[in-house]
Amino acid sequence: MPASTRRQPRTVPRLTRRGAALVVIGVVLAAVSLWFDLRDVLLLAFVAIAMPVVGLGYAALRMPRLGVTRAFAPATVAAGGSTRVRLTVQNRSRRPFDGARWRDEAPSPLLVPAEEVLPGVGPWERALPSGDDTVRLDYLLRTPRRGAYPIGPLQLSLGDPFGLAVMRRAVGGERELLVTPRVTAIDGALARTAAVDGTRHSLQRRMQPNSDELIAREYRYGDPLRRVNWAATARRGELMVREEEQRGDPEARLFLDTVPSRRGDEAHRGDAPDFEFELAVEAAASLGVHLLERGYRVRLQPLEEGAPGRGEYREPGGGASLLLDDLARLPTPGTWRRRDRNDDRGRREDGSSPGRLTAARERRAPMPGFAVLVRPSDERLAELAALRAAFAPAVAVVLPTVAERWIETLEHADWRIVRIRRAADLTTAFGARPMTTGAAAARETGWAEFLAGERDAP
Amino acid sequence: MRRDRAPLSRLQALALSAAAFLLLVVAVMALGPLLAGSGWWWLCAATAAAVLFGGAGLRAIRVPASLVPVGELGILLAVLTLFFGGTSSLLLFVPTAETFGVFGELLGGAQRTIAQQSVPAVVVPALAFALALGTGLLAVLADVLVLSLRLPALAAAPAMVPILVPGFLIEAGAEVGTLVLTAAAFLLLLRIDVRVRRRAALAHRDDDEVRITAPRRMPVGSTVLPTVGLAAAGLLAASVLTAATPSVSSSLLLGTGGQGALFARGVSPFLDLGRDLRRPDAVPAFSYVARDGDRPYFRLLTIDRFDGEVWGPGDRRIDGDNTVAEFPTPTGLGNEVARSQHPIDVTVQQLRTTWLPLPYPVSSVEGLDGSWFWDRGALTVRSADSDTSGQQYRATMLEVDPTAEQLRASGDRIPESIQEFTELPEDVPESVRELAAELGARGGTAYDRAVAIQEYLRGKDFTYSVEAPVEEGYDGGGLDVIAEFLEQREGYCVHFASTMAVLARELGIPSRISVGYTAGTPTTKRVENVSVVQVDSQDLHAWPELYFQGVGWVPFEPTPGRGTVPDYSRPGASETAPTPELVPGTPAPSPGARPDLDPERQLSGGQTAATTDDPVLWPLVTLVLLLILLLPAAARIWLRRVRVRRIRRDDRGADAAWREAMATASDLGYPAGSADALTPREAAEALLEEVGGLDDRARDALNALRDSVERARYGPPGTAAPASETALVDLVTALRAGSPVTARWRARLLPVSLLDTARAGRRAAARA
Repeated sequence: MPASTRRQPRTVPRLTRRGAALVVIGVVLAAVSLWFDLRDVLLLAFVAIAMPVVGLGYAALRMPRLGVTRAFAPATVAAGGSTRVRLTVQNRSRRPFDGARWRDEAPSPLLVPAEEVLPGVGPWERALPSGDDTVRLDYLLRTPRRGAYPIGPLQLSLGDPFGLAVMRRAVGGERELLVTPRVTAIDGALARTAAVDGTRHSLQRRMQPNSDELIAREYRYGDPLRRVNWAATARRGELMVREEEQRGDPEARLFLDTVPSRRGDEAHRGDAPDFEFELAVEAAASLGVHLLERGYRVRLQPLEEGAPGRGEYREPGGGASLLLDDLARLPTPGTWRRRDRNDDRGRREDGSSPGRLTAARERRAPMPGFAVLVRPSDERLAELAALRAAFAPAVAVVLPTVAERWIETLEHADWRIVRIRRAADLTTAFGARPMTTGAAAARETGWAEFLAGERDAP
Repeated sequence: MRRDRAPLSRLQALALSAAAFLLLVVAVMALGPLLAGSGWWWLCAATAAAVLFGGAGLRAIRVPASLVPVGELGILLAVLTLFFGGTSSLLLFVPTAETFGVFGELLGGAQRTIAQQSVPAVVVPALAFALALGTGLLAVLADVLVLSLRLPALAAAPAMVPILVPGFLIEAGAEVGTLVLTAAAFLLLLRIDVRVRRRAALAHRDDDEVRITAPRRMPVGSTVLPTVGLAAAGLLAASVLTAATPSVSSSLLLGTGGQGALFARGVSPFLDLGRDLRRPDAVPAFSYVARDGDRPYFRLLTIDRFDGEVWGPGDRRIDGDNTVAEFPTPTGLGNEVARSQHPIDVTVQQLRTTWLPLPYPVSSVEGLDGSWFWDRGALTVRSADSDTSGQQYRATMLEVDPTAEQLRASGDRIPESIQEFTELPEDVPESVRELAAELGARGGTAYDRAVAIQEYLRGKDFTYSVEAPVEEGYDGGGLDVIAEFLEQREGYCVHFASTMAVLARELGIPSRISVGYTAGTPTTKRVENVSVVQVDSQDLHAWPELYFQGVGWVPFEPTPGRGTVPDYSRPGASETAPTPELVPGTPAPSPGARPDLDPERQLSGGQTAATTDDPVLWPLVTLVLLLILLLPAAARIWLRRVRVRRIRRDDRGADAAWREAMATASDLGYPAGSADALTPREAAEALLEEVGGLDDRARDALNALRDSVERARYGPPGTAAPASETALVDLVTALRAGSPVTARWRARLLPVSLLDTARAGRRAAARA
């Protein structure tokens, strides 16, 4: 969210409730004293009126010179979690600073604590710092929704000594807090991975381009039979197994549906989040992280407009965190569209529109393909259906918003449909074994093993 | 937003109590100009200290906040018992039923003394009791405001009470020094409260969400300079503004002002005296029995100050040592003048004033109730805490019998202390001056001149008439009136007495005017073979007294056809006996015809109950009552504005909108609005059922509000949709339109929802 849309601190001092009450008392007293000709009380009436005014002037003239540094721990936080914001406020003035209250500033869905007292700090200690010029503030910031939020600047309420007037001033700068989408661990067929040794290890090894993939080694107890390298066995006269299969640089495709919400409800205008889209982002994040952890290079592609950052991620190399960062910054489709409509229209006509979906590496064997669908358009759906051949397995994670006819279209194209209603469904959705028979059942088994990282795509 | 209600430590609460105490005792100092001595201030301070620090003690032992004011009232009662309960208390502190009787009497006495004493008042026990009680109650109020409600700015209200009082009673009002000190004490209280709040908020932090690590050494005196500077700037600005504000005289606004004095500010009894004389029905004032057959004039008060327009009594304050048991020798009375003592028993009937009707001079008075004191110069007797009604007393009259020779021998010599009785304003009309010169040329000594004046006024040219001056428009005793009277030659005692007093002063003879009663009429009733003499309101009279060195103050009788002419003042003759010239002149008195009349009320200068007929008071009381009646409506409007502001700022706006909608429903008499146990959905359904039908627009509005509040209350954080203000307006308009007019007005003036809000607030406080 850009800083320009946020509430700017008021630069006008205003009276506190007490100050306003005092002014009212003063006016009433002045009226009474003039009415009854009580000159003596007039003095007090004017004191009651003058003090808040003097306080206003004082509050307006207070110019704190403070150095504010802000840090987050942890620096990146998942949606639904919380982080501690650590503020260090140092007095940079030769005079002590006291009589202020503080409140941090954060955009809408983040909840910052209410205004608190800022303890008094001593004068700036340039020569021999003892810490008396510094106050440390530390608060828990809950992050309900993903996004990149600017936190700050620190809002100070500077009052007069009698608490009659107050002036808001912003000190320090702002710092971006990245709230990544929540990642749900996907169980897949994890129960079966114990039987498969070294999956992860080997997958990692084969990410190194020059590793010799054809070295065979002696059979050790427990190696699955399907790894027996019969040719080498024949040559060596003893049972040899393949050290690694001949697979380099496996890639997976991840489609994320970014069609804007079509609901025109007045009630849901504004800042209300698009829950389905958020769920889709969460599912995409979970799938992406799961795939990256298993050594896949992940290409993330939006179905419609709006490119999330880099597009391609690999692990090692921080791919998972990059993916989460990009997904965190992914704008909600509607707002994105609204905001960038003007300059975007021209760009799309240039031909940089998403265009037709293509399978990038047809020359290779089919790769795993995942599509997270919220409310896809018909043409994108048709394209997805057509791409089925390039993917194996082809899994469509479908939210409840997707109409049945589209699901049928995909099913006819032989996409596997995984329905999720909430993020927690992801944990078990892939482990569930629908009662299918025949070829479908075989396929199921195959891709369950795939998910476990046990074997290639069937 | 308001987290600063952190509980205070004992020390912090004590600091606030001390600041409130300081404010109160400084404010009470404002009463200084009204009261004599300083003992009362210590008493007030002790009471305030007992209440406030007692309250602090109660808080320190964790007495529930709601019981602390009750405990403080108990402490106040104990303190009052200690100081005033005397023997009626148990163990000095515990009041008994008898103690309350004593308190009641003291309060009654306080009322009387407030009504009767002039400034500065002697602090008689009754007045001290009232002061202590008032201070104690103010202390309880201040404690509730400062420590229970934590609204120290409102502590200005109790502090203003003692400050406002002097302004109504004396021209100058409270002293500037006291006012500045009070303002400073108030600011100190605010400052201490701000500090205490900050410290308490910092110290009391039991949640882990926010951690504040303050420096080890916090700056101590860093705010002293700005505090003092700001206070000084504010006080200075206020002083300048006060000095620069033009005075809007109350008389310009209201016609009359300042009449409702509790303590006498100024008296002009002449007009009232005339009014009483013009009454068709006489009211019995008092009766007396004089064993020796005396028929003296009874004097109530003397008037000796003359500023050209109005005669007023000298404003000597009551001296607590001058008890009526013994009187001094009258001023200027020489040893050679014959004198004798005669007892007179007086029974007061329907006379209610603070001045005692007494002959002049007296040597002692016995049998009075209350505290009565004589005045040093005039020997008039005043009460500090009671009045004449129902009094029965014996006055020992000192009959002075000067001869014309003695008077003549006194010469023109006037002692310094009497000089003030010859003062006249500058602008004496020429006609009066000429007349004085003409009369002065006739005689030799001062006495002769005085007799000449009396003779002139009693001459056949002058006529006694109560009505004429009023008809001609020259009633009163001012210089212009005297000049007019000398033209018209018609008037009554007021005119004769003031004319003679002015002429005497013009001729250098000290003079004053006595106001009181003539000797009265003997009745057929007899006590111990002495006839009872009845004095009634028709006998009201004013007469001049002139001063002659060696004899003292000597009454004269310039009014034709009234009273008795003293022997010595008859020109050339001192042999004949006094000849009473009783002139009823008006219809026969019919006592009891107007029993509720209070003949002396007006005479005593509006001192008894003048507050009730003050023209200012009634509109004011009405206004205050009206304001009090409008208070609930104002509170409701304020609440609504707060909620609307919350909606606009989206500070729990959905909640605010829903509360406002439900409050409106509750105000309009739909119980669904106040049913706190219902969920928004249930409440909305119940409301729909009770209203019986809303149009679509209102129904949509209700649903929208309900949805948004549900979302805000039950939805995940950060998902609340902002409430729509238009929906609220729609719903409220529809609800209002669907209600009868009476319900609408009741909703406006007596909003029931305030009770719900208060209850909810209390529950929230209990939870916290």
